[in-house]
Amino acid sequence: MDSALIPRGVKRCPLWQFLLFIGAAGIVLLWGVYAMFLCWFKGLNQTNMNDYYGFALWIWADLAVIAVGGGAFFTGLLRYIFGKDALKNIINYAVLIGFICYSSALLILAIDIGQPLRGWFIFWHANVHSMLTEVAFCLSCYFGVLTIEYIPLILENRQIDKVPFFHHLGHNMHEVMAVFAATGAFLSFFHQGSLGGVAGVLFGRPFAFREGIFIWPWTFFLFTWSAAACGPCFTILVTKITEKVVGKKLVKDNAIELLAKISGWMLLTYTIAKFIDTWYWVTVLAPSQGFTLMDFYSNNPLYGIWILITEIAICGLVPAAILITPKGRKNPVALWIAISLAVVGVCLNRWVMVLQIMAVPVMTFDNWVMYLPSWQEVATTILPGAYGVILIAISYRYLPVFPNEAELNPMEPLPAEEAEEKSVEPSVDLEPELTPAEA
Amino acid sequence: MKIGRRGFLSFVIGGAAGTALSPLPWKLMDDSSIWTQMWPWTPVPEDGEASYVNSVCTLCPGHCGITVRKIDNRAVKIEGMKGHPVNNGGICLLGLSGLQLLYGPMRVKTPLKRTGKRGQGQWEKISWNDAVSEVVEKLRDIRSEGHPQTVGFISGFDRGTVSRLFERFLTAYGSPNFMRMPSVRDSYELAQYLMQGVQALPGFDFENSDFVLSFGSGLIDGWGSPVRMSRVHSAWQSAGVKVIQIEPRLSNTAAKSDKWIPINPGTEGALAMGLAHVIVKESLYDADFIENNVEGFFDWKNLVIDKYSPDTVASITGIDSRTIVVLARGFANASKPLAVCGRGNGTTPVNIDECMAVHALNALVGNIHKKGGVWAVSEPDYINWPEIEMDAKAAAGMQHERLDGAGSKTYPFTRYLLPRLPETIDPGEKNPLQALFVSGANPLYTHPDTQAVRNAFDKIPLVVSFSSYMDETAQNADLILPNHIYLERYEEVPTPAGMIEPVIGLSRPVVEPQFNTRHVGDVILQMAKGLGGSVAKTFPWDSYDSCLKETLGDLWNYLIDKGFWSNTGAMPPFFGTSYETASGKFELINKDNGSIPQFKPVSIEGDEKDYPLLLIPYDSMRLACGFIGDPPFVMKTVEDSILKGKDVFVELNPKTARNQGLREGQRVVLTTPKGKAEVKVHLFEGIMPGLVALPRGLGHTGWDEYLAGKGINFNTLIGPVEDPDSGLDAAWGIRAKLEKA
Amino acid sequence: MKEGRTHKRFQKFGMVIDLDKCTGCGSCMVACMAENNVPFRKDESNKLLSITWMRVYKLTNGMPFPETDVCYLPRPCMQCAGQHEGHSPCVSVCPAIATDYSMESGIVSQIYTRCFGCRYCMASCPYHARYFNWWDPIWPDGMEKYLSPNVSPRMRGVVEKCSFCFHRYQRAKDRAYMEGRRELQEDEYQTACTQACPAGAITFGDLNNPKHAVSEMVEPDPKHSGRPKNPNAFRLLERLGTNPKVYYLSSREWVRRAGDNYLKNEKKVKKPVHHG
Ligand SMILES: Nc1nc2c(c(=O)[nH]1)N[C@H]1C(S)=C(S)[C@@H](COP(=O)(O)OP(=O)(O)OC[C@H]3O[C@@H](n4cnc5c(=O)[nH]c(N)nc54)[C@H](O)[C@@H]3O)O[C@H]1N2
Ligand SMILES: Nc1nc2c(c(=O)[nH]1)N[C@H]1C(S)=C(S)[C@@H](COP(=O)(O)OP(=O)(O)OC[C@H]3O[C@@H](n4cnc5c(=O)[nH]c(N)nc54)[C@H](O)[C@@H]3O)O[C@H]1N2
Ligand code: SF4
Ligand code: SF4
Ligand code: SF4
Ligand code: SF4
Ligand code: SF4
Ligand SMILES: [Mo]
Repeated sequence: MDSALIPRGVKRCPLWQFLLFIGAAGIVLLWGVYAMFLCWFKGLNQTNMNDYYGFALWIWADLAVIAVGGGAFFTGLLRYIFGKDALKNIINYAVLIGFICYSSALLILAIDIGQPLRGWFIFWHANVHSMLTEVAFCLSCYFGVLTIEYIPLILENRQIDKVPFFHHLGHNMHEVMAVFAATGAFLSFFHQGSLGGVAGVLFGRPFAFREGIFIWPWTFFLFTWSAAACGPCFTILVTKITEKVVGKKLVKDNAIELLAKISGWMLLTYTIAKFIDTWYWVTVLAPSQGFTLMDFYSNNPLYGIWILITEIAICGLVPAAILITPKGRKNPVALWIAISLAVVGVCLNRWVMVLQIMAVPVMTFDNWVMYLPSWQEVATTILPGAYGVILIAISYRYLPVFPNEAELNPMEPLPAEEAEEKSVEPSVDLEPELTPAEA
Repeated sequence: MKIGRRGFLSFVIGGAAGTALSPLPWKLMDDSSIWTQMWPWTPVPEDGEASYVNSVCTLCPGHCGITVRKIDNRAVKIEGMKGHPVNNGGICLLGLSGLQLLYGPMRVKTPLKRTGKRGQGQWEKISWNDAVSEVVEKLRDIRSEGHPQTVGFISGFDRGTVSRLFERFLTAYGSPNFMRMPSVRDSYELAQYLMQGVQALPGFDFENSDFVLSFGSGLIDGWGSPVRMSRVHSAWQSAGVKVIQIEPRLSNTAAKSDKWIPINPGTEGALAMGLAHVIVKESLYDADFIENNVEGFFDWKNLVIDKYSPDTVASITGIDSRTIVVLARGFANASKPLAVCGRGNGTTPVNIDECMAVHALNALVGNIHKKGGVWAVSEPDYINWPEIEMDAKAAAGMQHERLDGAGSKTYPFTRYLLPRLPETIDPGEKNPLQALFVSGANPLYTHPDTQAVRNAFDKIPLVVSFSSYMDETAQNADLILPNHIYLERYEEVPTPAGMIEPVIGLSRPVVEPQFNTRHVGDVILQMAKGLGGSVAKTFPWDSYDSCLKETLGDLWNYLIDKGFWSNTGAMPPFFGTSYETASGKFELINKDNGSIPQFKPVSIEGDEKDYPLLLIPYDSMRLACGFIGDPPFVMKTVEDSILKGKDVFVELNPKTARNQGLREGQRVVLTTPKGKAEVKVHLFEGIMPGLVALPRGLGHTGWDEYLAGKGINFNTLIGPVEDPDSGLDAAWGIRAKLEKA
Repeated sequence: MKEGRTHKRFQKFGMVIDLDKCTGCGSCMVACMAENNVPFRKDESNKLLSITWMRVYKLTNGMPFPETDVCYLPRPCMQCAGQHEGHSPCVSVCPAIATDYSMESGIVSQIYTRCFGCRYCMASCPYHARYFNWWDPIWPDGMEKYLSPNVSPRMRGVVEKCSFCFHRYQRAKDRAYMEGRRELQEDEYQTACTQACPAGAITFGDLNNPKHAVSEMVEPDPKHSGRPKNPNAFRLLERLGTNPKVYYLSSREWVRRAGDNYLKNEKKVKKPVHHG
């Protein structure tokens, strides 16, 4: 039924199956939307946040999706600026995932703030000294960039592409994409960093606080670095999952391997940097404020020292080791493990840098505070996931996300369908039918 | 016209761009944020002309001067009155919350008559005239049947014109049953009467003392006049006054003292005797004072030497003998030492022997009626009303003994024994109490063994409450005749609890009465008029206000002008009362009735086998446990180690908890011979092992949703223990057990 | 106004709380609620959700019976100045300038209508002095009558905190201007909690004025961001460099030590860290 919209040369599941899938994800989405409206109309009392846990589950999710969405900027950077051509086969998907991550992040922020209708004050009454202001500006701008990067892909939909205006628009946008990619990389560098800065500047919170250069604490650079390292892993991970779900190969191995290798080195260097940062923090910074390492980790199982070991060793060194060795990244199982660990690691890092900060007592007579999210928080946190799945499904079905798909999965054309289409709508195309994703 | 795909898309995109570039979205965005800044459901207080009214707070016997800030005719803030002799600008959290009581949901807004069963909370509104007529009718019946003595009156207060009007009304009517709520004042009054022969208020010159020995008095936990005591405490800190606190639990008073000496509960009297032993044995007493002002010293000395050696006392109190000796020396060698007894905030009396023993310590060091000492304070005598008209019925009624047994052969010198009332309200044929009026008191909450008191009340045919608030007693009354609250009425307020300096304040209407309430003084006058005859003649005034004005005479204008009257300059004996005993001296042994300071243990309820632990109450400034319940602001200050949700925590030493197999936060059932309640465990190193402590002031059923249903009322778990010598309730705790819930 | 632009001597209002005198009575908490239209709810026993601009903490020395000791510590907003005046933990992070540092008075303001409720400032404040309005404030029917027109009630979704009763400062200044004066007397501007404290444990005044009692009591050292010279005086979390304007006095060593974090076996406070 919707075959007219489906890219040429690829096979898609029957519409009913697709709709069933969308429906299932849609139910989760609606649950999240319901929770979202509760938060908007009844207020944040719908959450289990409190005056100690002013940032909670979904802010973690916010930081996490931005970190893993870092695959878009970093892949873009490699593709357009450093000219890693092999990545052209995965760049579309990286952009799409980034788009989903960033739109989700903005949505979460719109739910998170106590006065959503005043959200724009952050731009209008901007405090240029606040890391959060930097985040808001860079995040919004970069979201704009991602939108611009995503649009040409939409324009490549078979039907839209038939409109000459859109066709030319898409073509021209491709031409200048390098400029946007560069802009995106620059913006991304700053907002990833400023998200790290959000935590690092909290000099009242010895768990979070780090010194640095100029206005930027070390966490600024660590965040950018870790996003660059783990974002591509997430891109690979989602690609792999997509391949599993649709049951076919979508991206050529050389693209995956290249990305994995670069990720691996980034992750290795990041882990070393993180280790040095932690060492300095534990031996110099925290003691100067009267804290020892175990003051930050003792007292309860959720925030035990295991969390630090897991983050640095298990989710840092291990995947880095796998990814930098050709044998490791070529072994499918090892690759799966490595990219999963890397993604878990960066999420864990964001968790710690959001939630553990709130849990650790600072005043000597304060206590560790635990928090358990309410269902409304869980639902609104899952909401972006459902939204992402749906957007991926739709994009995959109707847009030529994977330029190699047809090549990797050759199929017999279905003449009946083609004929039907042609008879319904005569083509007004002036240019050759299928434009590859890259002009 | 045919719109093609291209045209349609151009239209949509162009439209979107056009809208975005137009002022519309920006204007909407701006407007919506402005709307959030002025949500109609978030109140905007109206501005107006600011003014200030001086008055007096009567939420407790502290009687602080207050200054109420008003905006037009709204009272918006209560502050302490600068320059007031009691509080000089300071104010307690309860006093600060007065406006929540004024405007709050706990107010009784109009006279109410019960329609359902007692305590069911079914009421009908009734006019003031009907309500008073109903009461008068009933009183007339009782009187005509010849039983005027079966009418009783419970008052939170027994001084000043309002209390005196109650008493006067009862006397003219023919009943001796005017009853004041119990407190440590009862013990002190009796001790002073027995040892000094005077009926006076106990006054403590803490401001000038340099060594304070407190046998468990929560001097900064709500005792006496709380703001005055806070100021005193600060003065002690600045001057380096030694303060020793003796009690089994680390109260705030103990924590702020120089030394906290934990003691086996109920053995404070023994310690006092032990200290006396050391002082006498080492001749540390004030020989001059003993010689000239004390009678019976040598006989008592022998008793003290014989029976209260430090070792003996150490085994009773659990305090080692060395500490006892050092403490005694420290006390006796101080230049202005002062000993005070009474547990917690002073809302419960103590056994008379204990009170006398502590008072005797003061006599030993000669600080009776001295700077920094203990005073028997006589009141400024401004109430001079005409003789009461007594007809034959009144005279006959007044011949009856009081129902509570105060002044009877058994308890000849005790003035009020309210806790004994329930047992005298016999289930037999004719109830000795046919009508009961309650004003400024909440016995169904504050009395020990609440259930027994409730059962007793159930047998009284008519219970009338004058409460301004829907408290527990009001909830269980037949009629509520709501008084104006203190911010809506005139009333003179005499000397605050525990002060030696006489002060008279004037409570005055800060705002118009907010509801259909009436001054209780006016209601008494109306009732008297309704009864007619000699009762009516006893009340020659048109209104309470005119009565007050006439009574105060010149003082009225002074009070209206200045807000309070005090006698700061004058020193005793202007208001101190000298010894009026047979010997004209301080009598350590009262020859008339043989009373003598000694230690007699009070055996509390429950046996050790079934109840291995001891339950004691504790008081906190943040939990009002008397007539007034915590308003919402005050509830906000209650710590989460005391109340969490609806659960109250009992304090337990970690050692006790270990023995009982309990841990922090655990839900347990607390059982005493009197009752049972679910509570949670809070481990606290500051309580003696073997003890369980429960705060007073929670577990209300009345008041409002901000207070009711939270925690447990301590009084439901304890019963009174009668002191055989005085009839006073001498219970200091009760045996208890804890079991996992 | 930037310093240096004028020769006017700026005031730096601060507070000294004598913990020896404080009895933990809670008057300051309620005085603040009554003065500042602080809302309340039916259950306030969850202290993580209970708005108390002034909160009195109960500290224990952790010793077993009978060596146990207790001390109360009232905690308003510390009005932190940060290591360079105005770099308060919270002010520096607020993205919308909804909380600001007044160079003229040293007071950290909070602008409810500007705040959009991101709660970043709460995360930044180690003293937990900031509170979020999780609910619409609701007063029982009739009780709005006592609300003061000097302090606007806050709407749901914004952060609030102790303001050093800023409206009292404004009121005092207005009065002084009307009388043709530029300078305030020490007693003209006092906070509600100071005024109410029955124990007189709170002293309030200008830390920049050596004649004011607060300065005399703690002797702030301008060379070390106001660190007290009085050995009995301390500030909470001095070592973090928040530079608070609330000082505490205590004669008890364990209490002073409870004011900050120390490594085991660390006797003296080392030089506090400085932050950009
Ligand atoms: N915030 C807060 N405030 C409170 C409380 C609280 O829990 N929290 N508790 C309240 C309660 S329940 C009470 S009862 C009070 C405590 O004050 P109360 O205990 O109610 O005072 P009394 O029991 O009347 O007497 C205490 C002592 O004051 C002296 N005294 C009593 N009456 C007089 C008098 O008329 N004149 C003089 N000169 N001295 C007198 C006697 O020495 C007596 O020993 O505090 C009240 N204030
Ligand atoms: N078990 C137990 N027993 C108690 C108490 C307790 O908490 N538990 N509380 C004890 C204490 S401390 C007290 S004071 C008593 C009474 O207990 P409460 O009834 O709590 O008495 P107070 O709190 O002392 O305040 C007296 C009240 O009466 C009003 N009042 C003040 N002066 C006058 C007056 O002259 N005339 C009239 N009509 N009203 C006046 C004021 O509104 C004030 O609220 O109960 C005592 N008995
Ligand atoms: S101490 Fe008593 S009289 Fe004084 S303000 Fe408090 S409640 Fe009122
Ligand atoms: S009002 Fe004063 S004494 Fe009471 S808790 Fe506050 S600071 Fe301490
Ligand atoms: S105490 Fe907290 S809210 Fe107050 S100025 Fe310091 S950081 Fe800001
Ligand atoms: S919650 Fe309000 S005051 Fe706090 S940082 Fe966000 S906008 Fe600023
Ligand atoms: S200074 Fe004012 S706002 Fe701050 S705690 Fe005290 S009363 Fe509240
Ligand atoms: Mo009392």
